[in-house]
Amino acid sequence: MENRNQENLGELFGKFFDAEQVESCLKDFQQAERIFRDNPAPEPDDMLIANIKAEIAMRLGARKAELARRRIYRRAVAAAAVVIVAGISATLFDRTGREPGRLATASLIPTAIWESDDVTADDADLAFFATEIEQIENEVMALESDEDTSESDSTIAELEMELILISSDFWKE
Amino acid sequence: MYSGRCYGYFYRLTGNNDISDELLSELFVKLVEKIGSYKGGSFEGWLFKIASNIFHDYLRSKQRRKKLLETQKMQLESEVIEYKQSDGEQIERLQKQLGRLDRDTKELIMLRFYSHLSFKEIAQMRSEPIGTTLAKMHRGLKKLRFLMEG
Repeated sequence: MENRNQENLGELFGKFFDAEQVESCLKDFQQAERIFRDNPAPEPDDMLIANIKAEIAMRLGARKAELARRRIYRRAVAAAAVVIVAGISATLFDRTGREPGRLATASLIPTAIWESDDVTADDADLAFFATEIEQIENEVMALESDEDTSESDSTIAELEMELILISSDFWKE
Repeated sequence: MYSGRCYGYFYRLTGNNDISDELLSELFVKLVEKIGSYKGGSFEGWLFKIASNIFHDYLRSKQRRKKLLETQKMQLESEVIEYKQSDGEQIERLQKQLGRLDRDTKELIMLRFYSHLSFKEIAQMRSEPIGTTLAKMHRGLKKLRFLMEG
């Protein structure tokens, strides 16, 4: 057998066989080489090679087309992903541009309380104002349910003024 | 270059031109399909590994056929000879003597001769120790030499 891989057959066989066997192995190899050289196998027919080449060309063509199709699909998917990401980003930026709820509630709650970090103090203030408003409202209702008198009218007017005053103080910044 | 060696490999294993034609076609189609799996290294090792797999697939399909056609077992076993004779061809002496070797030894000798792979590569391909490969090779060649000289 031809030693095309630069194998040192003597050395290789020497690792497994004794010297006598190595010599025998090498002799057998040389004989086999000669036998195969003297009895070559038939070569493939030219028509067969031409057919194989045609088959390969056809398959390569089909594979190229398939690859091109996949590339187009991938690009389409990438483009769709970019559009979706852009849409989501635009929506998010649009939302963050606003101040959610701030404007709607600012008219009801004083900014000082809204922006304050002292929750306990704010709660106490709110409770105080709410109690005062409730108390005045009760007094107004009690007076309104009584018989009309000039004195009561002036008292009601006075109380209402106080109520307005407290209310405006409550929502003042 | 490779086509001649691969064809010789198939021909020596099957002894049949038509089957060798089919196997060679299948091999090159497989090469195109599997070219992506070639990760460098010995191209011949990769090529003949596929060739060997194709040959084993062929043997398996032949076995299946044998089972299906049990009544024609004897005819199928001498399929090569019948085919060649019906074709009016003479079976060359080497092919006849190779037929007397056991399948594994014959395949090992063909692999070594046509693939030009080193024994180390062949042993790796066959998943066996190199000493085993060398011993089988030696026994096989000795027998072949005896048969050819006899």
